[in-house]
Formats: sequence, C-alpha cells, structure tokens
Amino acid sequence: MKSVVTTVVTSADAAGRFPSSSDLESVQGSLQRAAARMEAAEKLASNIDNVAQEAYDACIKKYSYLNNEGEANSTDTFKSKCLRDIKHYMRLVNYCLVVGGTGPLDEWGIAGQREVYRSLNLPTAPYVEALSFARNRGCAPRDMSSQALVEYNSLLDYIINSFS
Amino acid sequence: MLDAFSRAVVSADSKTACIGGDELQSLKNFISEGNKRLDAVNTIASNASCIVSDAVAGMICENQGLIQAGGNCYPNRRMAACLRDGEIVLRYITYALLSGDASVLEDRCLNGLKETYTALGVPLQSTGRAVGIMKASSLAHINNTNSEEYGGKRFRKMEMKDGDCSAITSEAASYFDRVISALS
Repeated sequence: MKSVVTTVVTSADAAGRFPSSSDLESVQGSLQRAAARMEAAEKLASNIDNVAQEAYDACIKKYSYLNNEGEANSTDTFKSKCLRDIKHYMRLVNYCLVVGGTGPLDEWGIAGQREVYRSLNLPTAPYVEALSFARNRGCAPRDMSSQALVEYNSLLDYIINSFS
Repeated sequence: MLDAFSRAVVSADSKTACIGGDELQSLKNFISEGNKRLDAVNTIASNASCIVSDAVAGMICENQGLIQAGGNCYPNRRMAACLRDGEIVLRYITYALLSGDASVLEDRCLNGLKETYTALGVPLQSTGRAVGIMKASSLAHINNTNSEEYGGKRFRKMEMKDGDCSAITSEAASYFDRVISALS
C-alpha cells in the first residue's frame, strides 16, 4: 500500500541502492508530520459511533423522502445499512490518517464506488450531505488540535470529491 | 509492500475495526523512536560494503574449501557473485528495517531464494553463516559497540547520540534471523 516509506523503498529498490540520506530525509519528514494524524485517528476511533450516527441523522433529516415507501432508507434493514456505510467511510478515514495517504480509501472505498451505487440505484447526494456534515461538525480545539482537524477534514473532502 | 502503518491497517480491516488504543500506541512509539530507526538504517547502509566483505571473508576463513578448486567461491567470478548476493540480502534487510515490516524482504528477496540456491548448488549452510556474520556486525554498528579489536585497520565508529537501542536492535536481529531460517 502506498505511503511515503513504501514509495522511497520502491524507488531505491528499482535503482538497486541502499537507502540514501535523501531517502531517510523524506521518511523523517513524514514521521514529523505524523503526530497530528495519529491524534486525529485516535479521536475518531474513540468516537466513531457518534460521528457516524450524527452524520447519518443529518443526511436523513435533509433528504427525508428517503424514509418513504420503496426508498433507500425505508425499512429497518435499509436504515442499518445506510448507517453502516457511513461508518465504513469513517473507518477508512481512520486508516488513511494512520497510513498518511489516501491508499485505503482509494483501494477499499472509491474503487468501484460509482458502479456499486448505480447498480443498487442509490442516490449519492445523501452521502455527500452526511460527509460534509461530519466535516463541518469537527471543531478545534474542542474535538482535536487544529492541525489534526486539517488532516481529518482534507480526507473527508477527498471522499466528497469522489462522489462528484 | 507494506510498512508498519499499512500493516496495522490491513490487520484492522480484516476485523472491520478502527485503529485505536494499543495499536495506535505502538505506532506512536514507531514515530517517537523514528530517529533511532533512521540512524540504524544509515549506519548499516554507510558501512554496507565493509559488512558484506567481512562476512564473506569470515565465511571463507571458517571453510577454506570454498576457495579451492571446485569450491563455490573458487574463481573470482563466483566469489563476486557471492559478494553481490550478500549485498542484495543486506539491502533488503535495510528496506525492511526502514519500513518496520518484513513484507518487502519476504516478497522481493526471500521468496524462492532457497529453491534458487539449491538449484544453483549454492551451499545454504555457508550462506547462512555469512548472514550470521552480517547480523553480528550490523547489530554492533547499530549499537556503536563495534571495537577496534574486531574492526582492525578498518575500524570505524559512527557519530551518533547514545541511547537505548534495544528495541530497534532486536527488530533488526529478527530480519536477519528471518533470512537465516528461510535458508535452512
């Protein structure tokens, strides 16, 4: 999976050389920035149920027609699946924060996303609403430090963009 | 290829769980101890040719048959191949040490190595011995405990801040052991 370290190792290996000082330099750079990401990952992991629930509630509130007969949020099974989807995205955000790249989201969230939602006839606007609610809900320093919040929000923006 | 962080992600994903608590704590340790790791990689990479040639020479000293006619290091061509392989193995070990995960070493170096050596008639025991010597000298370099007694004319001490390097040392040792066990 792509990260700063694996990129460095791949290019060193392609050239058949030992890790050079510039390789070590770039790894160190990523480690220095990692503390904020870890903080965001930790805060998100400890509160993921609430974050997902609030985001889900917000999107159902805006698109209340989804509760109507035959719509995507009409039965209890559908409701729990919608909530589960939001939670999946949050979990992938947690992974991306840990890895320090968008690898987990790309590989497990975004690849094939359009095809799946089309074939299941799901609207994507509610997902966008849920994720942007989660993004606007985060607040520094109440939830996490401002640098951590920047990392967290940029990943949410990344998913939101993938829906358009 | 994985590193310590993506390894944690892959194992958390198999349980559909978030990464928090203990796992995150060990990654935070990885970050805070990062400079030790970089110093360790640097000290091995900087002394690589010395480590490798010393290991191959040591292996031959213990088993002179290798450089007599019919031995596996006999003409220069085969000795050169031996030195080259030692350097390759050490290089993949530095990659594993840098990424904090053995996957790059396993996938790109050890996978099929034993079968290749068996097919080419390379003696696995001698190879294992050479890796063992590389391990000893690399660990001495990481801890800066290499001495003039062993280093002789080529003795060199790196400029590093002293500290507790037991964790990174045992991690490095585990990668060397992995190579040795893959060859036996």
